Formats: sequence, C-alpha cells, structure tokens
Amino acid sequence: MFPNLTIPDFPLSFPLGGTDIAFYVVALIILITAVMTVAVKNILQSAVFLIFSFVTTAILYLLLHAEFIALAQVMVYVGGVVIFVVFTILLTSHLGEDAFTTKVPRIFTAFVISIAFVFVMIKCILPLPELSSGTVAAPDNYASLEQFALRLLGYGADGFVIPFEIVSILLLMTLICAITVARRSKEEKE
Amino acid sequence: MYVPSVTHPIGDFVREWVPKLSAYLPEQLQSQTLDTIVAFLVNAVICIVAVCAVNIGSAPILIYMERKVCAHVQCRLGPMRLGWHGTIQTIADVIKMLFKEVYAPSGADKLMFYLAPLIVLIAPFMVAALIPFDKNLVVSDVSMGIPLIIAVNGFGVLGILLGGWSSNNKYSLLGALRSGAQMISYEISFAMILLFVVMISGSTNLMTITQSQAGTIADWFIFKIPVLGFIGFILFFISSTAEMNRAPFDIAEAEQELTGGYHTEYNGTPFAMFYLAEYIALVTNSALATTCFLGGFHAPCIGVAAVDNYLTMVPGVVWFFAKVFFMIWCYMMVRWTFVRPRVDQLMDFEWKFLLPVNLLLLGAGAAYIVICG
Repeated sequence: MFPNLTIPDFPLSFPLGGTDIAFYVVALIILITAVMTVAVKNILQSAVFLIFSFVTTAILYLLLHAEFIALAQVMVYVGGVVIFVVFTILLTSHLGEDAFTTKVPRIFTAFVISIAFVFVMIKCILPLPELSSGTVAAPDNYASLEQFALRLLGYGADGFVIPFEIVSILLLMTLICAITVARRSKEEKE
Repeated sequence: MYVPSVTHPIGDFVREWVPKLSAYLPEQLQSQTLDTIVAFLVNAVICIVAVCAVNIGSAPILIYMERKVCAHVQCRLGPMRLGWHGTIQTIADVIKMLFKEVYAPSGADKLMFYLAPLIVLIAPFMVAALIPFDKNLVVSDVSMGIPLIIAVNGFGVLGILLGGWSSNNKYSLLGALRSGAQMISYEISFAMILLFVVMISGSTNLMTITQSQAGTIADWFIFKIPVLGFIGFILFFISSTAEMNRAPFDIAEAEQELTGGYHTEYNGTPFAMFYLAEYIALVTNSALATTCFLGGFHAPCIGVAAVDNYLTMVPGVVWFFAKVFFMIWCYMMVRWTFVRPRVDQLMDFEWKFLLPVNLLLLGAGAAYIVICG
C-alpha cells in the first residue's frame, strides 16, 4: 500500500517515549491552569483552576515515581486546603461582582521578577547534565510507601523518628490552640 | 523506546497476541515499537471499558433494586407495569432522562454548572479501578490503594459544593454547604477505619488485603479480630453511609426542607450524572466493605472439606458480586427504615461519638496486634 513507508523507531525526539509525551502534556496543562488561576475574574473559578493545577502537579510527581508525594499532594491540597478555600469563598457575599484590578507598576515588577526567575533557571539549572538524561537515579522501591514509612519512623542512623514526633506534637499544639481560640470567641458572644 | 505497560494477566495475554496478529500486516508496517504501543492502547481501552461497564451497567440494576426494596419495605409492589415485574421501567427512565433538554438557570455560572457533575464522577470511577474483583480481575493493582481512595474522596465534596453554588439558588447553596460540612467530617472516620484495616493486614494494596483474608469465614477481617472487627465493620457502614449522602444521613437533599438540595436546578444529563455518581458510590463503597471486611472474592468456606470443595468451585467474581449486592441490600434497608437526624445531631454524632470510638478502635487494634500476633 505504501511501499516507501517505514515506521521510525523513535517517532519524535522523545528519549523516554510515553513518559516524555506525558510530561509535556501534563506540563502544558499545569501552565494553562496556573495562568487561568490568576487570569480568571471570578474567585471561585480561580480556586477550581488552582485545584486542577494541584492535581496535575500530583500527576507530574507520579511520572517521577514519587507516588506518596503525589497522593499527599492530592490529599492535603485537594482534600483539605482548597476545600476550605472554597468554603470561605462560599460564605463571602458579593462574589465576583468587582473584579480585582492590577496597576501598571505591579505588572512591571511581576515581569521583572519572572524574567529574573527564567534567567536563573536557564543559567543555573538547565546546564546540569542529570536533568536532561532522564534516567532514574533513585534505587528501586526507594519512594514506595513501605520504604518511606520505615525510614520516617526508623530510629537508626537514617531514621527520622524524632523530627516526626516533634512535628506531630507541634500539630497537636496548633489543633488545641485553634480550638481554644474558637471557644473563647464563642464565650465572649454569650 | 519506553512504553508504559499494564501489568496484569489480561495485559500479558494482549501483549502475547498483538505480535501474532501483526504478523499478517504488510512487511513495512511491522515494528517492535508499534506492537508495544498497540498492545498498550488495547490494554488501556480494555481497562476503561471494564470500569465503565461495571459502573454504568450496575446503575440501572441498582435503581430497579432500590425501587423494589423501598416498595416492599413500605408494603407496596413497586414498578409492575413495564416488562416482567417492571424490569424495563429503569431503561424507560434512563431514556427519558437522556432526551430531556439541558439548560442552566439564568444567572448561573455556566462553566462551573456543567463542570460540577463531571467532578463528582471522578472519585467513584477511580475507586472502581482499584478494586480486585477476582484474583486476576483488577484494573490497576497499585501498591497505595487505600491512600489513593482517601485522596480522591475529596473530589466528591468539591463537585457538590460547586454544583450548589453555581446553581444560583439559595436552597442549592444551603444543601451544598450542609453536605460539604457533613462529608468533610465523616471523611475523617472513613479514613480511620480504612487505616484500621491497613494496620491489621499490614498492606495498603487492596489485592494483598484480600489475599490476607484467605481461608475460612473466620479469617475474614470482620471475624478475625474477635470483637474489634465487627465494631470496625459497623463504623465503616455508618461512615460510608454518611459519606455517600444516603438516608438516614441525606441532610444535603432533604426534600421537605431544601426542595432537593444541591441538584435542585439540574435536569437532563447533568442530573443523571449526579444520580449515577450516587449509585456508583454505592457500588464502590459496598465493594470496599467487601474487600476490607468480608473477604473479597474468597468463598465463604466453613472448614468442612466436603462443603468447601463445592463452594470454591464457584468463581470468585460471583462470590464478590454476591457479597457486594448483599451489602447494597443492607444500605437500602437502612435507607428505608431509619429516620433522618437533624443537622446538629448529625455533626455531634460524628465529632463526639464516631471519632473518639475510631481512635479507641485504632488503639485497641494496635494493642491486639502487639499482644496476639
């Protein structure tokens, strides 16, 4: 049918094949949703776009074989923080009636900062050879849940049990503080 | 070239057969890379079709079953006219629903209004892909099944909140807020019961959890840990009922107070999607209860070899769906027999009773594992 047609082994210059294509698709979606987050006039819509940008970031983590980080990203940001963001937005009145305006100097500083950031990225991070090689540097199962948990709660030389406990006590303290603050305001009202 | 592969026996089967079939193609079109890509795409399509078949196929059956169970609880007959005992009634309803005109109320946020039903459907579909229906029948056998289930459950709340807000209707907004508060609260105890299961089985993979319940009925997690297993099962039942927004916890759509809750303004296909999400959540939660407590696809062996031989002859899928439909029947009986609590009673129940009991259960489970094995 097509006598001269041969199928090239590498369709485009994607050294990792499907993973590379997936990376570019996910990166594009992250960029679009991130821009939409700041560009959309309605605050609720921008919160929704923020959620989608978090979710696509989680997919990016999945492509890097960091499954636990990806799930923690979804759990904490989608399940927790953004839900409360949505809640607070829902409870505010006159939503989306006055669009926030940005003044010219602010745009100018934003441009300067972002151009400086891009410059730093190109100058310092892109030349690193490990970035473009794409090989997996971590040993097998390095980021699996079991290894992760064993290291996090291990008390050997590479264990993190003391920082883990300190962080958990800190979290408990903040919880109790939040409850006491909320209670006091209720008593004052009565 | 690296092509991701679907790792399970059906995937192996496809990978084995694609090169054999591609041998019939003309010489120029044959390539190792093309074979792997085609095999991957075929596997992906099989996975998607399997998840959709289980989810969308079970919804009409469940709607018919709900009507019949509801009718018989209330001493009625239920649908009887269309087909044998009203079996075609749901199909007629589905066709009616799909042919309705879809429109948004004036002043509604159109984008969010049509996005909300899609977001609601994310969680049930992702959970359905993780559940092992038989030894080799699982779409994605990931090592972090339970954390993934806990993570994607947040999407349900988001969809309901968006649907309620974007309808531009105060009843919808009230229903959405109530339901959001309820689902966020009950998510905590839902996650804790799943953690209890993880603690007992020592794994977050749903296949490993099922395999660790192999043996007789006494090895199922509901009976394996003497009293704690049963308490855990009851707590899972309560918190998953609340998580699904089903009666007696259907505060979100209390018809008498809120004229239907967050989906008041929805009609046609978007409404059908909310409805579908509710019934798929019923299937996935029952499947989760089956996997975590009722031994998954294992036959209910009783330890007598003569009986067990016959029981194990039945394929695992049949046992799995028998248990799932038993669980669904339990959910339906609860829905039609219990009365709805008030909002404050509901929240008090979660924060003042369910959560402390869950914490105690986790502690007791840890003590059991340390002492008994």
